[in-house]
Order: sequence, then structure tokens, then C-alpha cells
Amino acid sequence: MDLKELKNLVGEFKADAKKISSVADFEELRQKYIGKKGKIAQLFEVFAKLGTEEKKEFGKKINEMKSEIELEIVDLQERFFNKKVESPLDQFLKTLPGKKVEAGHLHIITQTIREIVEIFKPLGFVRVRHPEIDWEWFAFDALNIPVTHPARDEWETFFVDAPADKKYGRLVITPHTSNGQVHEMLKGELPIRMLGISRCGRRQEDIRHLQTFFQFEGLAIDKGISISHLKGTLDYFAKNFFGPGREIRLRPYDFRFTEPSFEVDINCGLCLGKGCKLCKGGWMELGGAGMVHPNVLRAGGIDPKVYTGFAFGWGVERTYMMKSGTQIDDIRHLFNNNLRFLEQF
Amino acid sequence: MNILVPQNWLKDYVKTDAKTADIANALSLHAFSVEKIIEMPGGESVFEIEITPNRGDALSVLGIARELRALLPRLGFKADWQEVKNKEISEVDKLKLDVQIADKSLVPRFCALVLEDVQIKDSPDFMKERLEAVGQRPLNNIIDITNYLMFDKGQPMHAFDYDKIKGAKMILRESKKGEKLVTLDGATRELPAGVIVIEDGEGRLIDLCGIMGAQNSEVDENTKRVLLFVQVYDPVRIRKSSMALGHRTEAALRFEKGIDFDAVVSALKEAADLMKQYASAKEASKLIDILNVEYLPKEVVVDYEKINLVAGIEISEKEVNEILQGLGFESVGQKVKVPSWRYDDIDLPEDLAEEVIRFYGYYKLPNKLLTGDLPKSADQKLFFLEDEAKNFLKHQGFFECYTNSATNENLAGDGALKLANPLTEEFKYFRTSLLPQLAEVLEKNLGYGEKIKVFELANVYLPQEGKLPTQPLRLGLVVKGMEFLEFKGVIEALQKEIGVKNLINFEVKEQKEGILTAELDFEELVKKAVSVKTYQPLCGFNSIKEDLTFVVSSNGEVVYPQIEKIILESDGRILKLNFKGIYKNFLTLAIEYLDTTKQISSEQTQEIRKKIFDRLEKQLEVKLKL
Repeated sequence: MDLKELKNLVGEFKADAKKISSVADFEELRQKYIGKKGKIAQLFEVFAKLGTEEKKEFGKKINEMKSEIELEIVDLQERFFNKKVESPLDQFLKTLPGKKVEAGHLHIITQTIREIVEIFKPLGFVRVRHPEIDWEWFAFDALNIPVTHPARDEWETFFVDAPADKKYGRLVITPHTSNGQVHEMLKGELPIRMLGISRCGRRQEDIRHLQTFFQFEGLAIDKGISISHLKGTLDYFAKNFFGPGREIRLRPYDFRFTEPSFEVDINCGLCLGKGCKLCKGGWMELGGAGMVHPNVLRAGGIDPKVYTGFAFGWGVERTYMMKSGTQIDDIRHLFNNNLRFLEQF
Repeated sequence: MNILVPQNWLKDYVKTDAKTADIANALSLHAFSVEKIIEMPGGESVFEIEITPNRGDALSVLGIARELRALLPRLGFKADWQEVKNKEISEVDKLKLDVQIADKSLVPRFCALVLEDVQIKDSPDFMKERLEAVGQRPLNNIIDITNYLMFDKGQPMHAFDYDKIKGAKMILRESKKGEKLVTLDGATRELPAGVIVIEDGEGRLIDLCGIMGAQNSEVDENTKRVLLFVQVYDPVRIRKSSMALGHRTEAALRFEKGIDFDAVVSALKEAADLMKQYASAKEASKLIDILNVEYLPKEVVVDYEKINLVAGIEISEKEVNEILQGLGFESVGQKVKVPSWRYDDIDLPEDLAEEVIRFYGYYKLPNKLLTGDLPKSADQKLFFLEDEAKNFLKHQGFFECYTNSATNENLAGDGALKLANPLTEEFKYFRTSLLPQLAEVLEKNLGYGEKIKVFELANVYLPQEGKLPTQPLRLGLVVKGMEFLEFKGVIEALQKEIGVKNLINFEVKEQKEGILTAELDFEELVKKAVSVKTYQPLCGFNSIKEDLTFVVSSNGEVVYPQIEKIILESDGRILKLNFKGIYKNFLTLAIEYLDTTKQISSEQTQEIRKKIFDRLEKQLEVKLKL
């Protein structure tokens, strides 16, 4: 190859370029001219053997030609593939993060309540809500907790500064959702499968307790309901809420409104009941439960000779915090409404 | 309440091959929760046990031992009961005590005995060690014996210096408001009315009954004669008094849960016997035993069917009977006689079912899911729409907040319900609106960003005289960095999202510069929400769209809804009307025309347009911008 041929190369390329009709043709063309063993590469081989003077002239020409052919190829490629070839800056721009969509957050209490509701729904439990400020009668007396009973001290109860009702007593901030039990019974429809979720209030505040908190109350009343049903239901909840390896067990306890009454334990998520540093003995307390006391059924107008039932009432926040991996060490975060906390959920 | 029970002490009553962990496990699963096992320096184990409020009978070593006696053999362990012989005393008619009880209900049983020649000294080592193991500081032999038996048998008792009871006379009565006495701990206590007290022959108060003795009659190193004092008090009065005084002693906590009335005399005799052994005491009086209440034997029906129903499996009659007998219930035909120590706790067949099934073992019952009929009504619309609304707001960039239902006086609003016993000033009044607390949340988070949006869906509490307060569910929204119309638009869109067709009015307030708030009655929204969407038939004709700009007179009388109403009512062929923008007082609206019966023409839209212009100008003086 010599300078003469060199002059024709661009013309030759353009003629070839007109003929291409497929991706393969295009690739062939590209290889023919600017491939590793292409015409330009061959020219450089010739160039290497030239004398100094010749090199000057020849080198300049090859480079001009190379640029021209490369530009033609880019152009051809864009036309042929109907696609813009990206510049380095274009490529960088694509690596930038997408424009942020304004994202809000639902509170973890809402998320937990939804999870609880979804677990109980297939079992036929219907969500309800009962008064958060209620008569003392529903919060205590109807639940078989007379005024003089020591069990009544167990709840650090808030009272409203208002005159008492002759029949129903004072206004209280319900210290538990169990006030809903008799409200529900008095609706007069059986069977009952209720999931009551409401705010409660107790006169205490520390890293484990808040003056405002949520409870969820399960109540099932029908003919033939037994402790086995309570166990089955709570076990179903535990497996779905905490994980498939989790189990519950009942231990004796005492609540005035249930007979028998239970403390419900769950096996530790870390050791699954074998015993480890976290749980001491393999089990952790989850909350209370029991078979509805005949006096409570009577207060709700239900004949305890015909019907039995079970009930449980647990703290929403506490139950959530017992999920492994949540790492919330202080319940007070939940009502602090620091957006930097809330945005993590 | 929690009690401490040393394992060695239990051996006084029951000998077993069960190990410490076996005992703890048996108790936790069948009786009481063993919260901790404390290892003492000498290698002894002490159980810390949580006793439920119904089980006053178990607040002692004896009580726990009784439970283990019945329980351990069922779990394959030996449990040999160590019969404790009742101690006897020799009564001497020498020293007297004049007892006057005006109100018999105060003290169902009153027992006392005078002892003389008492030598006050240290208690024997075993007693001191055991007292220390249960957290009681040893003082001297007489006082230690009374404490020792309280932990041993659950019967609180007291020892007076007999010579300090003036006139050897005791008047047991209720206190009058304002009376004072100094208790053994040195505290001067001013009493409310209704506390059970004892007055001596000189009118001095010498005992705060069931709670703590008085300093003026205490046993000290010079005491020679002792009045040993063992009672059953009215639990309700003890509880009330001890709460009112804020003085919750070990004695009071036991008295208020009920005492085994049948064990009072034997406990007194045992104490006298120990005083004879360890303080060289001699009997110096007759046994005083005043029974003010007649305890009729209590019998409860054993309902085997109910037990099986509650358990969900069959427990044989034989096993039921065995369990009940083990716990001290005596069979009387179809019934059982309740042991004296369970007198206050067992009343119903259901109570017996609990005893049987807990001993059988809750963990042995199968897990079953509910079968049978489902509840008849299940209206979940409210909850469904709450979720819809929350999701919508979340996607509009709102943060959901949960604030306290009570707050301080300033934030709660006028006429808010007030707590009678608040814990803090910040939780004293029940809110009548969600907005003040939400605005506070926003203020606290100002540094978070330029644009902040928060909401809460919760109840407020509105007092009603003589009735339960109404507790409507409200939706409160507070934002910063949003345009007024942008904020309003979100709330309008939210209403549409949950199915409200005729939007309900709401007020957007500028709470402070740049902070906008709005509150809606959510239940009202839900009532208006239509869950069934009605289909409008589609037609194949094209619509015509155009923008029109009007000049709104600035007399302040025209409001947008009027303009909208007039335009929409001008012609049935107006499909949509949207606000597009406003510049100064130039209002631009986007209108879409459609005739569902035929293709609409520009001549026809012109005709409609003219109607619009006429009406707007005539009724509102709103004209087309030329």
C-alpha cells in the first residue's frame, strides 16, 4: 500500500458503506477498515517501515483518514441501529440516582396492627373498637373485679374528674381492652369472635410502659370452646407473627375475669426453647389469657351453662418489640414522633 | 407479690428426690411462676416465686410445700410429707387481758397468750440464717420468732411488751381521722378514719393492726413479759388502710389476701413453743381465742363434664378426684369440701376445673383451631377505609404519627376532660382536637427538611354531661412547606380516594407562618363514602376540550364553588370542569364538552360557551378575559 492507495481509501469506504444491509455487513465493514487487522492497521504497518521525512507526511494523512472513517462509522452505526451512541458524560448521567419520589411512612404501630389483624382474619375474628374512656363498670365490675378486690390495684388506673354514674360508677381511662368484652356480649349476637384493638391508659411511664398504649383483645364465645382452642389460636398467631419455629405454652396465672387464667409464654427466638442467655430457660412471657369467667358471661347476658369462651389481651407495642431483630430498646420512641425514627419504618 | 422460699426450709415439710430445677419447673408449669433461683453463698438455693393475688394461702413455705406434696408425685418424684406435730401449751390463769371489740367485723378471729420470764437475746443460728435468706433482718429472739412463723406458715403475728399495755386492756376499734401514732420503724403516722387500731387502758394507740406495731409497746432488751398476738383481720380494711398510709408491709400484704382461720391457734401455739425453747418463756395466761365470725364449711360441686369441656379433652373422674384430694379437698358426695386455707379462693365449679386442669398440665392439652359458626355481622368498612386513607397519605409523602391521647391544659382545648389522678402535667387533659399536638410534633421536627407533612388518625374526647364522652375518630393533618392549594388538593383527593363523591367541607388553617393544618371527622367521611361505583356508559364520540380564562371581580363576594356550580348547570354536555390556574384575578378553567348521543361540533360548544358567559356575568359579574 502506498500514498496513492491512501487517497482512495475514504472513497472506497464510502462505496462499501452504501452496500451494507445487515448487522453482519456493518461489523464486517468495521473490521475491514478499523479492525485489528483492518486497512488502517495495515497502513500503520507500512508507516513503521518508512523513513523520517516520509513518516511526517504519511502519518498525518493516516490519522486524518482514521478520524474521518471512525466518525463515518459512528454515524453509520447511529443510522443503522437507530440509536444514539452515548458520550462519556451521557454514560455518567445514567449512573446518578433516580429522582427521589416523596415517600411518607406509616407508623410502626399501624403496621403491627395490620399484621395482627391479617393473622386473625382467616380465623374469623372480626375487628372492633370499644370506648377508650369508659365506665368503671365495664373496666372492672363487669369483669368480676369488685371495688374491694386487691386485683383492682394491679392496674394503675386513671380516673376522669367528673361525677360518677349511679349504676356504672366513675369514668376511667380503660387500663386494658377487656372493657370491650362485655360491650361486645351486650350486642346480643352469638357466636362471638372479636378482635378489639384500642388505646388504653395506665398511670405509669418508664422504658417499658407508656401512659398511652395499644392492646389487642381476642374474645371467642360459643358452645364448646375449650382451652385447647385458646392454645391452638395463640399458637397459630405466634407462628405467623413471630415465625414458624415459635411455640407457645400456658402457665397458671390469676385474672379475675378468667377462670382458669394463664400466663402465655413463647419459646425464645434465639434458642427455640433450649435455654440461652437472652431468655433464661428457653421461654419468655408474652401476655395473659384465660377462659371467660362465668360471672363475666352473666354480666354480658350469656348463660355460662350453655356457652364458654376464651379471651386474651396483649400490648401491641410490647408484642412488636418481642419480635427478634426489631432492636427497639425503649418503648417511648414510639410516641416521640421523631421523624428520623419514623422514617426507618 | 413475690416471695422467697429457701429449698432447705421446704424440706421441713416435704422430702423429695426432685432437683432444684425440677421443683422450679414443676411450680412454674402447674402452680406459680418461679421467677429466679438465687444461689446463696453457702450453696443453698432460694426460689423467688410470684404468687398471684388469689393465692394468699401460698405466701409461705408451708403453702408452697403443700402444693409440691400434691404435685411432685404426679411428675414421678418422691414427696414424703413430714408430719409436723401440733405443739401444746399449758394454760395458766395468772395474767389477764381485758379485750373490748365493738365492731366484730374488724377482727374475725382474735387470739393471744401472755408469756413471762422471757429472756431477750439473739435467735438461734438456723433461724437467723433462714430469716436472712428470705430478706428479713434478725432483731431478737421474740421478734424473730413472730417473723419466722409469718414466713413459715403465712400467719403474720405480733409480740407486745405486756407491761407496756397500760391497764392490761385492749380496745380494738377503727381510728378517727387525725389520730397519730409512732410505728416500730420510728415514723409518726397520722391516720385517716377507718384504720383498725388498738387503744390501751390509758387511751394510747399501741398497734396499727395488721400493718405494724407501735413503738410505745414494742419488745426491747428489758422486756420480761410478752403478749403473743395472732389475728385474722378484715382483709378489705387492712388493704384500704395500708394503701391510704402508703405502708405496704409483709404483714399487711398477707392479711389483705386472707388468712387460714383454722390455723391461727396452732400457729400461736407453735410460736409459744419456740419462745419457750429459745427465750425461756413460760405461759402466764389462758389462751384468749375470740371467734367473731362463724366459718361455715364450704362445699363446691365437682362438675366432671365441665372440666372436660373446659379442657377440651377427657380427664377421668378418678384422676380428677386424685388431684383434688391431693390439694386437700375432701369428697362429700358430688361435692368437695374446700380446705380452710383455700376458703377465700374457691367458690365455683370453674374454680375446681382450674385446679384440676393446671395439675393435669396445660402443656399436655392439644392445640385446636376454632370450628363452628362464624360471627353473623362483620362490618369492616371503617377499618378498610382507614387503611385506604393512611396508604394514600403515605404515598403523598406524609408521616403517620401517634401522639398521646392526653396532653397539657393548653393543648387539650376548651372543655377538655380532666384526669382526677394525673401522673404528669403533660398527661392531664384529654384532647378535643388532634391538631395542637401534631403542630407540636412538626415544630419539634423543623430541622428535618424544607417540606414536612404529618398526620394522625385517632380519637378525640368530647364530654357530655352525665354520659360517656363521645369519642369521634378524627383525621388531623399538619404540613410545612406546602402551598395552600396543594395541601387542599391532597385532602380533596383523599376524600375521592376513599369514595366520597360530594366532598365534605373542611377548613385549612394557617396555624403559624407556613404551617397549615386541617382536621376532618373521619367517621363522617366514612358515612359519605360510597363503596359501590356506578358505571357511566361510554360513547364512541369525541369530546372537545378548551381552556377559558375569566376575570373574577375583586369585590370579595364571589367564591369558586359558585362559579363551578353555575358552569356545570349551564348545560348537560359539560363533561368535566377543572381549575387550571390563577394569575392575579384571571382564572383559567379547563372545560371538556361531550355529547353522548352524537358527535359534538364547535358550533355547539360555542352555543354552550355563550350560556356559560351569560350566566356567569349575570349572576356573579364574572366575565371572559378579552
